Amino acid sequence: MISAIDLVAEIAGALAAILPEQRWFAGKGRPIRALTPLRATELRRDEPRLIHAVIEVDQGGQPPDRYQVLLGVRSELPDNLGHAWVAACADHAVYQAVHDPELTAVLLELMAQGTDVDGLRFTTEPGVTLDPELRSRPVGAEQSNTSLVYGQTYILKLFRRLAAGPSPDLELHRALASVGCKHIATPLGSIEGEVSSTPVTFGMLTEYLRSTADGWAMATASVRDLLAQDLLTEGRVGPAEQVDPADAGGDFASEAQRLGHAVACVHADLATALGSIPAPDGYLDRLAGSMHRRLDRVLSRVPQLGAHAEALRDAFDAVRDLAGPVLLQRVHGDLHLGQVLRSVSGWVLIDFEGEPMAGLPGRSAPASPLRDVAGMLRSFDYAAHHLPLGEGEHDQHAVALAWVTRNQNAFCDGYAQVASDPRPQGILLRAFELDKAVYEVGYEDSNRPHWLPIPLAAIERLTTTRV
Amino acid sequence: MDPVQHTGDAVLPDGTLAEPQAEDFRHAKAAPIDPYWYKHAVFYEVLVRAFYDHDGNGTGDLIGLTQKLDYLEWLGIDCLWLPPFYASPLRDGGYDISDFRSVLPEFGTVEDFVVLLDEAHKRGIRVITDLVMNHTSDQHPWFQESRRDRDGPYGDFYVWSDKDTGYADARIIFVDTETSNWTYDPMRGQFYWHRFFSHQPDLNYENPAVGEAMLDVLRFWLDLGIDGFRLDAVPYLFEEEGTNCENLPRTHEFIKRCRKVVDQAYPGRVLLAEANQWPADVVAYFGDPAVGGDECHMAFHFPLMPRIFMAVRRESRFPISEILAQTPPIPSGAQWGIFLRNHDELTLEMVTDEERDYMYQEYVSDPRMRANIGIRRRLAPLLDNDRNQLELFTALLLSLPGSPVLYYGDEIGMGDNIWLGDRDGVRTPMQWTPDRNAGFSTCDPGRLYLPVIMDSVYGYQAVNVEAQMRSPQSLLNWSRRMIHVRREHPAFGLGDFAELDSSNPSVLAYRRHYAGDQHTEKDLVICVNNMSRFPQPVELDLSEHAGHVPVELTGGVRFPPVGELPYLLTLPGHGFYWFQLVPPETGRDP
Repeated sequence: MISAIDLVAEIAGALAAILPEQRWFAGKGRPIRALTPLRATELRRDEPRLIHAVIEVDQGGQPPDRYQVLLGVRSELPDNLGHAWVAACADHAVYQAVHDPELTAVLLELMAQGTDVDGLRFTTEPGVTLDPELRSRPVGAEQSNTSLVYGQTYILKLFRRLAAGPSPDLELHRALASVGCKHIATPLGSIEGEVSSTPVTFGMLTEYLRSTADGWAMATASVRDLLAQDLLTEGRVGPAEQVDPADAGGDFASEAQRLGHAVACVHADLATALGSIPAPDGYLDRLAGSMHRRLDRVLSRVPQLGAHAEALRDAFDAVRDLAGPVLLQRVHGDLHLGQVLRSVSGWVLIDFEGEPMAGLPGRSAPASPLRDVAGMLRSFDYAAHHLPLGEGEHDQHAVALAWVTRNQNAFCDGYAQVASDPRPQGILLRAFELDKAVYEVGYEDSNRPHWLPIPLAAIERLTTTRV
Repeated sequence: MDPVQHTGDAVLPDGTLAEPQAEDFRHAKAAPIDPYWYKHAVFYEVLVRAFYDHDGNGTGDLIGLTQKLDYLEWLGIDCLWLPPFYASPLRDGGYDISDFRSVLPEFGTVEDFVVLLDEAHKRGIRVITDLVMNHTSDQHPWFQESRRDRDGPYGDFYVWSDKDTGYADARIIFVDTETSNWTYDPMRGQFYWHRFFSHQPDLNYENPAVGEAMLDVLRFWLDLGIDGFRLDAVPYLFEEEGTNCENLPRTHEFIKRCRKVVDQAYPGRVLLAEANQWPADVVAYFGDPAVGGDECHMAFHFPLMPRIFMAVRRESRFPISEILAQTPPIPSGAQWGIFLRNHDELTLEMVTDEERDYMYQEYVSDPRMRANIGIRRRLAPLLDNDRNQLELFTALLLSLPGSPVLYYGDEIGMGDNIWLGDRDGVRTPMQWTPDRNAGFSTCDPGRLYLPVIMDSVYGYQAVNVEAQMRSPQSLLNWSRRMIHVRREHPAFGLGDFAELDSSNPSVLAYRRHYAGDQHTEKDLVICVNNMSRFPQPVELDLSEHAGHVPVELTGGVRFPPVGELPYLLTLPGHGFYWFQLVPPETGRDP
């Protein structure tokens, strides 16, 4: 029987061919120069075989990206796994094992047993007993990772692009669980190990929250209702009165308030578990500097931003002169409405992986919790503008903005029930919002040019209203 | 001793009042034995006064109701719930009872009631009524005797005190009308205790004779053939210094005694608790789960109703999902009663609890929902007479866990008359035909107990049973079809409930599953409801039923079989589906 590492090497070409079709592959659009297996572990020897592998994909970037792949090997591939086929190798079919419940069950069994296989450590969190009998299915529509839901009870997130060092997601889940945080999914187990002598987190098992909806879906349902309300009233006799989002059936404000409360609880729990420190000398200068540098980069590509450059620089510079202590702590780092789930018992934050663009040191660096708040405030703005706004008798932009203001304030009200109100810390909060909006301008310019007006209009608004 | 017609018509040698006895009357033939009938029954709340006036005096009566039983049988009703029809000065809608053993004369007689029971049972319909255990009217002969003679047999029937300071921790429920739970009686020269209106003195359950007297009242009606009682204001029976005098252990003990009487002598009859509290607290009134429940068989699930309204208003399933997630399991023999509308309306009394601020926050912050509090409206006007929403709400009522309680007239989409005030606005005469007085009565219109609805949208000329029976697509015929579909599927009444995973916050999907027993086949039903007015897609995780074929229940259309992948459905605005999941072996076409 061909060894695991030889098998992966054998099918490297086929893997390189299917990688660009995988949602989680980060290097789309760039040619793959080489694909090298770094390690491969046999997790199950009997038919069907299960191989855990880490591959390095050289696309010219430094360092090259590393990915986790799980491969199944069967003498004959059943029809229902046809879509997972990768390659043929020594009279066997090699396929992506995450689609095969028989093989994904192995991962759960290994965690339940607490096994170390060739340096891959499958463990449960302290005091957790797992039911290894549950069958899994992959969750659809995921971007950067692959998650498997076991019997509507557990969810295993497999990190695809591997970062060197322990995952902040696992680290923060553990820290939050240790202080009894109510607004996360309880961590239950993990898969960890080393790649080229560097510690790496391969997977995290948490409780699966049934019947949740993400904040983006909730918020956009509310906006849709409000805008339709506006159109309905348009035909009515009498002066055109603007629709007040407070009167709309789909009002989101009390949810936004509960969400703000939940985010503040998570921040407080993170500070309790991992501490907080006053910003060291020079921190604010460095922070402002990084905002300026991002602006420089985006300005060079998006000339429309030029009109706001001066106002943006003023807003960033104002951060340098902030009086009073700024407290730094671990934060979520990439908080937006898509990272929060409404469950039947309240809001839950997910994906504590930090800012996606930052390297691991940056992702784990203490920051002001206002950065998370700013991320969420920007997300409300996006949610309100995701639908094409009609050109009717009413100014639908004004209606959308009224929704944004109402829900941003409700969010801050909820936040202020637990922590200090973000709004009086306007200079820093606004700088974070603008920094985020500048990032969005760069992102939309490259990926979704028709959405560019959303962050640009926000920058216009934020730089022309007083803090 | 000759029979008496009314309590107190005669006094026995020992000084007690002669009361009518069940043996004085003919008894109705009992309904067929089915110990769990209430778990799969469709209830119908009907006001005797409002349904049908057989003698043309302007007020509905028991004989009139009996004459309309064919309609209720046709509709598919399993049980009538009648608010109190006892003798009463009617200062609290009949809940102020002045004789537990006689019928309000304008409604008829005890004999008429026995006829109603008999005729209902012939049609497979059961009848329950309200019984107020906590208090009586101050006109009740027991109270009059108690005032007159503190040493007589009734001297200790009520809670008397020389001071008005006892039980200070008990809140005043009707804060708008009452300033104290004590009122001074000049005849007896003492204060008497009342948790509700001052004209409704509380019975003194510390006195064993009171408990016995009330058990005898239960026996009286059960002997005549009644199928059960809704026990009004149960949390308040006993008082204890230093407590809020609600839900006390001895109150539960007394309900257990009532249940024992029912179980031993009247199996198949039910007790329904009226306790307007949070479900987690109400479950105590089902009693011990180890024996399947040994207090009330049923209790109303109060918070569900306002949350259904809130969910559709917010286009979000979470108001419903949350309250169902917070609803604890109930004993095997117990069942919730659920409703969209009834004569009692939402109060914030039960939702101001510190941790239960959700409803308060949501309702009070929304002017439109706030208007629903306290003001009693019928279903159709609350939903702007929107047929899609009427159907969605009815489908939810008929498929959520619990036995549905319909309110008379809502099946035809009757309107209300807000100018009559909040109590009477939803108690107008049933609209039978487009004829005079909506076919309710032949009296002069001016003699009606309340005017019929006459506005252009909901008026009886447009909205009435006769017209809707003729129109296949009417709300009435639609409601009837849905009730009959529900009847064919034991999962609705007997099945367990599990919300299904759906990532769309506007779509509420759940599974009702009944495992089956020796008499009834197993049954698996999936209900999918769109809370939004916009069309919505939803992907359901039905993978554990892979291979099953969803068969739509109203038309029998087979949908594509369930596979390993999420099952995609699209729903129109405010649309819903009911599917039976048919196992693979029977899922193939013949």
